[in-house]
Amino acid sequence: MSDAGVTFLGVRHHSPACAGLVRRTIRAHRPAYVLVEGPADMNDRIGELLLGHELPIAVFSHHRGTERVSTSWAPLCAYSPEWVALTEGRAAGAEVRFIDLPAWHHAFTDRPDGAANRYADAEARYSRATERLRARYRVDTVDALWDRLFEIADPDGLRDRLDAYFALVRGDTEADDGDRAREQYMASWVRAAVAHAGNRPVLVVTGGFHQPALRALTTAPGTTPGAEPAAWPPVPAPPDGAVGGSFLVPYSFRQMDAFAGYQSGMPSPGYYQRLWDEGPEAAARTLRRTVVERLRARHLPASTAALISAHTLTEGLAALRGHPHPARVDVLDGLAAALITDDLDQPLPWNTDGPLRPGAHPAVVETVAACTGERTGRLHPDTPLPPLVHHVTADEIRLGLDGDRTLDLDLTNPRGLERSRFLHQLRILGIPGHTRVTGPDHGADPRDHETWEPRPRTGRDAALTEAGAYGARPDEAAAALLTRRLRDTGTAADAGTTAALLFDAVLCGAGTLSRDLLDGLAHRIRTTADPGPLGRALAVVLGLWRHDRVFGTAREPLLGTVLDHAVDRLFHLVEGLHGGPPGVDVPRLRALTAARDALLHAAPALALTPETAAATAARIARDRHAPADLRGAALGLRRALGAPAEPAGEAEAFAAAADPAVLGDWLAGLLTLAREEVLRPAPKGEQSLLDTLDGVVTTMTDDVFLHALPALRQAFAFFPPRERERVAHLLLDRRNLHGSARTLLRTSADPLLLARAAALEEHTDLLLDRHALGAPR
Amino acid sequence: MTTVSDPHPPRLQRPPAEVRHADELAGLRAGDTGPRPPGWQLSLRAALRFVVGDPDAGISRKFVGSPSLVERALVTLATNRGLMLVGEPGTAKSLLSELIAAAVSGTSTLTVQGGAATTEDQIKYSWNYALLVSEGPSRRSLVPAPMLRGMAEGRIVRFEEITRCPLEVQDCLLSLLSERVVAVPELDGDDGMVFARQGFNVIATANTRDRGVNEMSAALKRRFNFETVFPIPDLDTELALVEAESTALLRESGVERAPDPDVLEVLVGTFRELRGAPGQSDRPSAVMSTAEAVSTAHAVGLRGWFLRGEAGNAADIVSCLAGTAAKDSPEDLARLRRFLEQQARLRRGAQWQALHEARHLLDQR
Repeated sequence: MSDAGVTFLGVRHHSPACAGLVRRTIRAHRPAYVLVEGPADMNDRIGELLLGHELPIAVFSHHRGTERVSTSWAPLCAYSPEWVALTEGRAAGAEVRFIDLPAWHHAFTDRPDGAANRYADAEARYSRATERLRARYRVDTVDALWDRLFEIADPDGLRDRLDAYFALVRGDTEADDGDRAREQYMASWVRAAVAHAGNRPVLVVTGGFHQPALRALTTAPGTTPGAEPAAWPPVPAPPDGAVGGSFLVPYSFRQMDAFAGYQSGMPSPGYYQRLWDEGPEAAARTLRRTVVERLRARHLPASTAALISAHTLTEGLAALRGHPHPARVDVLDGLAAALITDDLDQPLPWNTDGPLRPGAHPAVVETVAACTGERTGRLHPDTPLPPLVHHVTADEIRLGLDGDRTLDLDLTNPRGLERSRFLHQLRILGIPGHTRVTGPDHGADPRDHETWEPRPRTGRDAALTEAGAYGARPDEAAAALLTRRLRDTGTAADAGTTAALLFDAVLCGAGTLSRDLLDGLAHRIRTTADPGPLGRALAVVLGLWRHDRVFGTAREPLLGTVLDHAVDRLFHLVEGLHGGPPGVDVPRLRALTAARDALLHAAPALALTPETAAATAARIARDRHAPADLRGAALGLRRALGAPAEPAGEAEAFAAAADPAVLGDWLAGLLTLAREEVLRPAPKGEQSLLDTLDGVVTTMTDDVFLHALPALRQAFAFFPPRERERVAHLLLDRRNLHGSARTLLRTSADPLLLARAAALEEHTDLLLDRHALGAPR
Repeated sequence: MTTVSDPHPPRLQRPPAEVRHADELAGLRAGDTGPRPPGWQLSLRAALRFVVGDPDAGISRKFVGSPSLVERALVTLATNRGLMLVGEPGTAKSLLSELIAAAVSGTSTLTVQGGAATTEDQIKYSWNYALLVSEGPSRRSLVPAPMLRGMAEGRIVRFEEITRCPLEVQDCLLSLLSERVVAVPELDGDDGMVFARQGFNVIATANTRDRGVNEMSAALKRRFNFETVFPIPDLDTELALVEAESTALLRESGVERAPDPDVLEVLVGTFRELRGAPGQSDRPSAVMSTAEAVSTAHAVGLRGWFLRGEAGNAADIVSCLAGTAAKDSPEDLARLRRFLEQQARLRRGAQWQALHEARHLLDQR
């Protein structure tokens, strides 16, 4: 016992070793009070936690202030030190109290990283000391170091080692304001508990990072325990106008795993659960068996010889690293070295801090999944329902959506839009109910009505409770789920699919366009290699950014960022395109059209200036290795961007395109991008595009012209009749002829017949020439 | 044996690792109390300290990659599987294999350099034909190649660029790695079989750029444990390495001015950006390795000093990059140009701006 009967246990959240220490300490000391780092506003409802749930569960807290919305989770599993403190404390007859500030407190919400998880590792924010330790012990990650020092080490002296570790981590670092406020508050609980306990022991279980500070705060001079007022500290009330609360929600190991992007710290919950249940040797054995089972179930190679080798390697690594039992990384390293006979394109995830990236080796993916485990929590039926259930029920009644009628929603009417958004949010969350049968499909879709038909509502309550883990209100929950879906799609999704996700987000309401979702989209765009899907995404985003008044996304700055990335990426891709089959790649041309529109109409959102874009386009137009349609499109793009005429460069481009084999492709590209520029007369003294085109066609020999004719026809078919007439008009003007442009377009005979006649004539001429019979021409 | 004990050896361009770090190896060997695998000169822990460094014991850090990679490599060598180091060019695979061989066997010179013209003779053994003709096949007339020597002496043999060898030649390692014996059918009796002594193993390296490991036979792949060596993950470590290496190179080339750290940061930053993220589909075909960054830094320093009598600047980087990043692919050139046009402009710092300003030099090569 230390410090007037107070025992401070500094733990790492989700650490089985720490959980075991808490259990042993409670059983040995039988404290009167067990104080646990957890939201103090849950103190009245600790009973709810002990109803008999299947773990893992999480305390989900939400808060809506005047300025911001925040949600956070505090996951609990069987081996969480906090959970063990709670259950063992109760069993030992102690009073268990949560002593930390509520989740809505600005100590949490003001954090620059927006930590959404109470049990995230505090020391991760103060990485200097852990970095030094890591280098000193020559390990790759802090997790590996932690396992070596605590999880698989001898439990004797564990507490001293933990204290030394956390003293070192805390050592020279200055805690931030949020952490200091929490520590002050927690210390006031400790002082009150000591006053109440009299001579009986008090146990304080908090994150190890806070433990040295708490100890100092409670034993500092002037805070002699006996002199403290015996009142328990008040639970701060949320500011006026704010609503919030904490609820239990079911959680899963998958949500807890750091490899999947969760910021909790301890990865691999499935492995640690077994470590907690069965000890290190059995956990290693089970892990190895699970990995092999998973690999074989997916028909990936895992021979007996490889397994023997994996086992030997694990034993060898454990010995080399001085581990008394094989640690998690020893097993994983052994498996990876023995099973993977390929080069990897990313480091093994357990050797780096960070989530598993898309494209990982299948054996690595299965290994990580085996560590994560499959366990999903379930709440006791008596648990109060999460807020989402209440919000959805209330909103349904308010919006008149609780019946089973077919709904026809007018999106231009605010109420129609609100109802539509709500239904889309439920659709994203997978809540059975109405299903949309018609409605707009993309940002530029002119439809402004939606039809929703009723479907059976079985399983609705279960689905709502499950979805309750994503947020307190349907809009928040839908946004959180879309963000997660984006992360889960991995490499399989192209930018087009991602744009569909974005459109889903828009349908749910612009307010739900979380930064995460757009960041994810921007990342996907940066890694897309095909201009087609990228162009589709760009067109969707541009449509939303420019026009969408129905959904209210016009000029949305975050969309602007996505636009910027997409345009940049597209230019990057097309400049690298060389060779390829002949023909017109329509999706690619559409992508360039979308880029042109973005440059013309969304310039303020783009980092790429029209001048730079025009310079790039000029380079592509001159590049003889680029596909013909792309070259034409680039030339058109340059003109469309209003770059001044550059006769020398254009002549070069035209000369390269005069080959009848590629002329059609080239023209299709040019006309797709510069349709208006072709129809516009040139300013005085400059050559218009049409002038140049006319020049090329006029100088063709008959033979070349006939070869090029199908391509020319195809290219000019691009113009509607009215515009074709305009072209004819301009051509007449150019020749200083007067006449009806319209009659020029109407041939009295079938054009094919004319072409055949021309061919016959040409052939006859050739024959005459060959036999020297022709009149001099 | 190639232990060099001459106190004043002639100055070599690049002595092998066991000579460069002879003092450290001797110190480690003297203080090594850990259990040694049979045939090893050092315990696993001492070998690990030799490679990844131990500042307290005055052992320098020679390989800046992940320590657990080195641990796995060492444990693999203590088992009966070979070690295959794969990775992009310039990720210090050969250096790592050299260091490990020096630590484990005390020599890193039993090396087969793989190539299109490598034959079985160069791997196992050949004959001294004068002796063969006069005496017939005998121990005396046999000329052992690195594999046979490594087996007979119980040492690590390095096989560089194994995937550049023809498949048939690669496959001569099969029986050697599984049976651990080489038959010399020309010799009679006990001499006809050379059994591997304890301590023998093979470290092969393969480059993912040229032919990749996909062309290796499955049978041979099974006899190796694979380790992928990655480019240095963090900027600071890579920057420090490039600075140290390029400064040394420049000094040897007679340049009296050390490289400007800001210029080096721009150079390394550009390399890291162009290298692309793992799994990214449009990574450049040119090799943007740390080794290449060092040689570019060297070239930048040379240009600055010998052309103008000063340290290299951002414009020199652009001129040199035109030859590195854009060696033979117009795509890479476009990529580099976009980087200079778009991203360099947005970065903070005078040298980044200078890099952006100098982008026109790309078109003047």
